[in-house]
Amino acid sequence: MAKLELRGVGKAYGATVALRQGDLEIEAGEVHALIGANGSGKSTLCKIVAGSVRPDRGEVLIDGRAVTVRGPEATGALGIGIFYQELSLARHRTVAENISLPRLPRKGGIFVDRAAMAAIADRHIALFAGVAGAGFGADVPVERLRPDQAQLVEIMKTLASEAAILIFDEPTSALDRAQAERFFEILRERKRAGVGIIFISHRMDEIFAIADRVTVIRDGETVGTARIEDTDPTAVINLMVGRHEAASADAPPDTGGEDGRASQSAAQAVLAVRGFSGPGFRDIGFAVAPGEILGFGGLHGQGQSAVLRAIFGALPGASGEIRLNGDALQPTGPRATIARGCAYISGDRSRDGVIHERPILENVTPIHFLRNRLGLAHPARLRDKAAPALEALKTKFAGFGHPVSSLSGGNQQKVVIARWLIDRPAVILLDDPTKGIDLSAKADLFALIRDLADEGIGIVLYSSEDAELLANADRILVFNGGRVTRVLSGAERTRHNLYRAAYEAA
Amino acid sequence: MSAVDLQGGAGPGGRVLAIVTQPLVVATLLIVGLLVLGEAISPGFASAQQILRLLIVAALLGIVAAGQNLVILGGREGIDLSVGGVVSLSAIVAGNLMNGQDGGIVPAILACLATGAFFGLLNGIGVTLLRIPPLVMTLGMLGVLQGLLVVIRQGIPSGLAAPALSEFVTRPFLFGLPGIIWLWVAIGLVMAFMLKRTVFGHRIYAIGANEQAAYMAGVPVRRMRIALFMLSGAFASVAGICLLGYSGSSFANVGEQYMLPSIIAVVFGGTPLSGGKGGYTGTMAGAILLVILQSILTTVNIDESGRQIVFGMTLLVLLLFYGRGRAMRA
Amino acid sequence: MKGAPTAAAAGPAGLRQFLVRFPFLPALCILIVLLALNGIFEPRSLSFRSLTGIVSTYLALMMLAVAQTYVVYAGDIDLSVGAIVSLVNVAIVALLQQMGGGGLTVLAVLGIGLAVGLACGIVNGLVVAWLRLQAIVATFATSILFTGLALWIMPVAGTPAPAAVWRTYGGRILEIPFVFWAVAALALVLAILARTRLTTQLLAVGDDAVRAYQSGLPVTRIRIRGYALCGVFAALAAFCVTGDTASGDPLVGAKMTLSSVAAVVLGGCALSGGVGTVTGSVLAAVIIGLINSLVYFVGTPSEWQNLVQGLAIIVALMAGVLVTRWARS
Repeated sequence: MAKLELRGVGKAYGATVALRQGDLEIEAGEVHALIGANGSGKSTLCKIVAGSVRPDRGEVLIDGRAVTVRGPEATGALGIGIFYQELSLARHRTVAENISLPRLPRKGGIFVDRAAMAAIADRHIALFAGVAGAGFGADVPVERLRPDQAQLVEIMKTLASEAAILIFDEPTSALDRAQAERFFEILRERKRAGVGIIFISHRMDEIFAIADRVTVIRDGETVGTARIEDTDPTAVINLMVGRHEAASADAPPDTGGEDGRASQSAAQAVLAVRGFSGPGFRDIGFAVAPGEILGFGGLHGQGQSAVLRAIFGALPGASGEIRLNGDALQPTGPRATIARGCAYISGDRSRDGVIHERPILENVTPIHFLRNRLGLAHPARLRDKAAPALEALKTKFAGFGHPVSSLSGGNQQKVVIARWLIDRPAVILLDDPTKGIDLSAKADLFALIRDLADEGIGIVLYSSEDAELLANADRILVFNGGRVTRVLSGAERTRHNLYRAAYEAA
Repeated sequence: MSAVDLQGGAGPGGRVLAIVTQPLVVATLLIVGLLVLGEAISPGFASAQQILRLLIVAALLGIVAAGQNLVILGGREGIDLSVGGVVSLSAIVAGNLMNGQDGGIVPAILACLATGAFFGLLNGIGVTLLRIPPLVMTLGMLGVLQGLLVVIRQGIPSGLAAPALSEFVTRPFLFGLPGIIWLWVAIGLVMAFMLKRTVFGHRIYAIGANEQAAYMAGVPVRRMRIALFMLSGAFASVAGICLLGYSGSSFANVGEQYMLPSIIAVVFGGTPLSGGKGGYTGTMAGAILLVILQSILTTVNIDESGRQIVFGMTLLVLLLFYGRGRAMRA
Repeated sequence: MKGAPTAAAAGPAGLRQFLVRFPFLPALCILIVLLALNGIFEPRSLSFRSLTGIVSTYLALMMLAVAQTYVVYAGDIDLSVGAIVSLVNVAIVALLQQMGGGGLTVLAVLGIGLAVGLACGIVNGLVVAWLRLQAIVATFATSILFTGLALWIMPVAGTPAPAAVWRTYGGRILEIPFVFWAVAALALVLAILARTRLTTQLLAVGDDAVRAYQSGLPVTRIRIRGYALCGVFAALAAFCVTGDTASGDPLVGAKMTLSSVAAVVLGGCALSGGVGTVTGSVLAAVIIGLINSLVYFVGTPSEWQNLVQGLAIIVALMAGVLVTRWARS
């Protein structure tokens, strides 16, 4: 009998179906990986188990008994612990308080048992002794921690639930290798103790390293489960994208010989950066030739994003020389750089891009207003301007007046990107632009980016997905510790070289 | 009836439908219902005369609420508690500059607008450059304004409204409606046009809905927010001048009664305090609704305590129609 | 107030951490400066007698600032605290007038007063947390309701409180003024409350309500408890008002609401929730009292006093917000 079983679980928000048909079986003592494109319903499925989302239909069974998870409060008694992808930490509370927050140990009825809380914290911090990094401790407020450390606290908090069912929704996204390794050791230990574990990750290598079984979820439906020894990454990907799309899913790196465009001198470069230093990066120099897509690679958070934001003027404190089509550019702020033709597309669309709940038209026009110094907004004229840009990205939307929130994640990102395309930019800075969007949207986006590059727009692409970078960038600067440690061009652009450069000590 | 006319004036022709949002419909239905109820309780309540008087009072509140609405739309917990102080201050300033003479009207209006905008500027600077939360900043400013009022009252008489101003507010001007109603309708039209059809309006919504995204799209967030607070001060000062015309002379802290009601009118009009959505047409209906509600309570023969209890309960019930927060569990 | 300012010597970084740990420090500094200024301009203002006077007058605001703090901890706000003070004030005065001013009767009536405050707090909590109305407008509405109830109990101000009440409040026990005993008792209660699970939970909810909910905290119940606690402290503030003014007044608390909000911010709480201390709020209430007395002692002409007070408070508010942010940057 399964430890946890989901039968036909579904959830819709209005017209948007988040989860169509979720079927899942977790045995005690197994790590069960859940994989699927973003927006395929993984997180919704987990949140239903954790009680923070109320399912429209379907059943949840624990130890063969149907249960109703009334809310996160109820999960303690049911023996469910969950790691939230977006973390569930109280920023101003200490590490120790956060670890025990769901069930603060009590003393005398109403008081917090500080000693017991400290003991719980110490026990869990000890699990990550040596890999947690400097400045980590039980009494440190979470706001003082680095992103990877905060993620460790969320892991500790999940483990401290001592639950028989643990759910980890992308627990390793910010962790370094050593931290992730340690985490996997702990997972194996829990597994041996009979805990049933759901593990979500986008990294195939992790799934194959830790999982016993893998379930693929696509478009809100669980489409198949396999024992890990009976499958391989290609089969899983085929299942993820659906057979007919499989061919285009992971295009082989283009090692073609048109590298002439990579070797132009800085003089005719669209964007040339020299001696550029700032918070999180030092002494960066590069030039983007017309028609070239320059890639930024390396492990997450090595300064790639900071460089792009600094060029755009959204990260103060940078110094160095930037030339846009030969003329000096002072990145004093987005307004100044946008006026000069810079475009910046953030992967964190919810924070940096989408103007929530506003109509699509308002979401697609702000750059047009600024670049043309408009004062009046004439809807019909704006629609005519915006339509081609949205079309170029194959954006699916019902009407300009509909709120942007009614679109899927991929289409929201397309709207955000389209706002930069109404008036032709000189250079486009892409900061992990495909984070959290589906495969077909990615394909549409990269096809367009190549076209834009061919039109002579300079393109800088940072992607946290190596495959994406290898498939689309003509040249790759590998970042490590805030510096460019290697430049890969032509036939050097292989996964092997990229990994080696990324993991080398800076 | 007039309430419906007002709505019709909010946008030309077929676009009215697009502007009529749901809270507006709710508010309008409530207004009609309350008028019928008032007429039933006290015949004559819904007479043209009475409704006109209610509309004048609503216009005063509605003009204050226009500025409040803009600040709230701009998000980041935008709120202006200092409007009451500005209303009182400009009533005094205007009263003294006019001193019962029509010739003093133009200088009075200019001085009041400048005063209101100045205090709005201070609020805006505090909120943007010093990043003081709006509630705190405008609360502090309210304290300063109240202190200033005490100082000014000691030194100078309360002043008199110019006859033309009083006439503008209380006497019929065009189609039987006094000037202040037309002024309010004009403000409604300008606000609707600004919010729907100007870049400035789109940017207000943008900073209210997602300030960071607006910044990344080149919206001058700080300048915008300062401008919103200045507009709020300016609208409050216009209301102060009109209030002087309504009551003939200014008296202590006349404006205080507008502070929280202006916020309630905005909420009743369908603009949530979190900003980023809503508009002024609803706020106008919200102001009328609030005024009619108070008026019915004064018509009914119960004492002050009962009136307050019923008013408080009714506000709570009405609030259930509007801007309820999201449930934690989706 | 624990910990000597030794870490302050460790440079800006040390000072910042210290400020994060003790967010009421700026308020404490302002308080000390104000005391010093009071002493310079009018040495007699630091006499035991006049300090007792300040505490007697501002004990109510201290209580009310504490009340507001527990709500602000969770990221909420209560604009009805003043109305609760009024309601409890007239309720106990009216009851005492009917039942006489005997010792046990007074205690029973105070018990009823606490219950009234608690009930008001629970109403606010239900309206804001359970019905999910926006706190600012909803508590404004309940304040009208509570004021109406106060007017129903006592339509006009002026009913006197029995002598036992104000004699006790203004009197001495073991040669120490009663109000200082009250302050000591308040400190003890606050120290106890600071160690409860509820305080930690309120702060966690204020930090981010959705995350707290996802962590399994009963967010709605916690917020209601915060409002309930607020109502109880508002009732205590009403007792102080009654002791100080020795009469019932259905509008006595109206002016105190915004002061309580100012005190909470001045004391280092973030209105967005999750940050702050009750110590800071209490200190800030005293600061507001000292600013008022200083303005008087400096010899400000009476018509200018309100303006100078207003300016001083806005400057203090800004300073508090700026210092707190600097500490957390």
